[in-house]
Amino acid sequence: MEPREHPPVVAESLGKKYSRGWALRDCTLEIPAGRIVALVGPNGAGKSTLMGMITGLLRPTTGRIAAFGDVPTGRGMHPAVAFLTQAKPLYPQFTVAETLRYGRNANPGWDQEYAESLVEKAKVPFGARVGTLSGGQRTRVALALALGKRPRLLVLDEPLADLDPLARETVLQTLVEEARTQGITVLLSSHVLAELENVCDHLVLLTSGQVRLAGDVDRLLREHGESRLSRLALAHMREEVAA
Amino acid sequence: MTWIVWRQQRPVFITLAIGLVVAVAAVLVLRAAMVADLTARNLVDCAVKGLESCRGPASNDFLNAWFDKMHLAQGAVIAAPALMGVFVGAPLFAREFEQGTHALAFTQSVSRTRWMATKFVVAAVPALLFVIVFQVVVHSWLDAAGELGPLATGPFYFTTFEAQGVSPVAYTLFAYTFGMFAGALFKRTLVAMSLTLGLFIAVRFVLTGTREFLITPTRIVSDDPSKPALTDSGPLVVDSGFLDAKGAVVADSAPLMNCASRGDEPVVTDFAACYRKNGLAQSYADIIPAEQATTLHLLEASIFAGLAVLFVLGSVWAVRRQV
Repeated sequence: MEPREHPPVVAESLGKKYSRGWALRDCTLEIPAGRIVALVGPNGAGKSTLMGMITGLLRPTTGRIAAFGDVPTGRGMHPAVAFLTQAKPLYPQFTVAETLRYGRNANPGWDQEYAESLVEKAKVPFGARVGTLSGGQRTRVALALALGKRPRLLVLDEPLADLDPLARETVLQTLVEEARTQGITVLLSSHVLAELENVCDHLVLLTSGQVRLAGDVDRLLREHGESRLSRLALAHMREEVAA
Repeated sequence: MTWIVWRQQRPVFITLAIGLVVAVAAVLVLRAAMVADLTARNLVDCAVKGLESCRGPASNDFLNAWFDKMHLAQGAVIAAPALMGVFVGAPLFAREFEQGTHALAFTQSVSRTRWMATKFVVAAVPALLFVIVFQVVVHSWLDAAGELGPLATGPFYFTTFEAQGVSPVAYTLFAYTFGMFAGALFKRTLVAMSLTLGLFIAVRFVLTGTREFLITPTRIVSDDPSKPALTDSGPLVVDSGFLDAKGAVVADSAPLMNCASRGDEPVVTDFAACYRKNGLAQSYADIIPAEQATTLHLLEASIFAGLAVLFVLGSVWAVRRQV
């Protein structure tokens, strides 16, 4: 019998307290493999905090978190996890080609051909300095860097936030295409629900640091008698504000 | 990994390289001009034999023209470690945290410790090379001045000691590692830079004052109490005074005043006898001989190296901690 594959993320009564108060409390959830997961919630709901703990950038105050069965530490990132933070940090003085070389040097499982093909698809010139690229191009390069390490879980914090509508569409399209063809679990946060509508098949809704809803999108819609993901999420957020 | 750090630090390396070329060229030009001046003033022999053999306007003019310049060069060797700490060490991690690019490094597969270690080594090598090359070039200039330059006052002369031997490298390691640690801890370049400069000056100041206690001094004694035990200017004098007939240190040398000429009394002619009559049998000096300069360099350097190790460990902790 083969040992059971660990799910990408398991959290047990996870909590994080900053000096200003709890950012996330009593969060228990499991993210199944092969899904595109929308992590939604209003600003300050704890989305970035949860992502920080999944990737090991932040240390939980309470509870436990595991990515593919391993507890993230400050020593380095899990090789199967890639994370793109909200600011999409890249070295502005590097060229695009140098940025990919960075990825190759810093990741043993790096797939140069794949990363290059992603940059080519985005029509970003390899010789251009990252600092001179547009927001959309930067995101595509950052995405190529994240995908080039061939992750099994891709965590994206507000990947579409600073993009124009056209760029949003193409980035999202690329993302879904790569996730489906490569079998990557994608966890992506956003506070704009409409664009995640037809993309995500799993939902985690956070409000004021707590999980309100979590599960398969179709099942959730059926249970709550809603037809659209955005309506469902919005209804729960309103409930929270009213309470 | 090495390539990554090399690429990142490239502007710093180019600046260091240009700075070094300019500094070395300047020192070599000054050295050549000084050697020409020595020949023109007919002082080449004097530089070998010492000032005593050639007192006169020629050597005075030469000293007026060159001595301060050579001192300044030593000062530059002393300042170089602080510059490396402030401009290479302090921004090493602070800049990554400030620009948010640490998140990029932390989300790759290489461990934070390896990332840190590579950055530490790759950035340190050019900084150390800069200091070593500059130190050697300046030393070759001072060497050419021989007995007419600052080196004639012995290895313990303060600017000479601190610009020689392993000291500049030890100071550089100290300043660089502290800058790195402060940057990793406070995550602000400007804070790290200011702290590095401040702490470097403070620690250097304290250790300069206490350096002589690192070695047990040698006592030399003159049987003629009216003559100082030490006549040579090379060794470092830690303490000096008088011994009584039993060989114990005389705590209060006030009896000395009895031998000073006073008003209408006959002038004391045999000082030695007068000193002995007043209980001052011998004069002594506790010194660190010039041959022990290297030992003192190594002892002091080991303190700075020890601090550097602490700062490296502190940086590892600061970079690996999760907030």
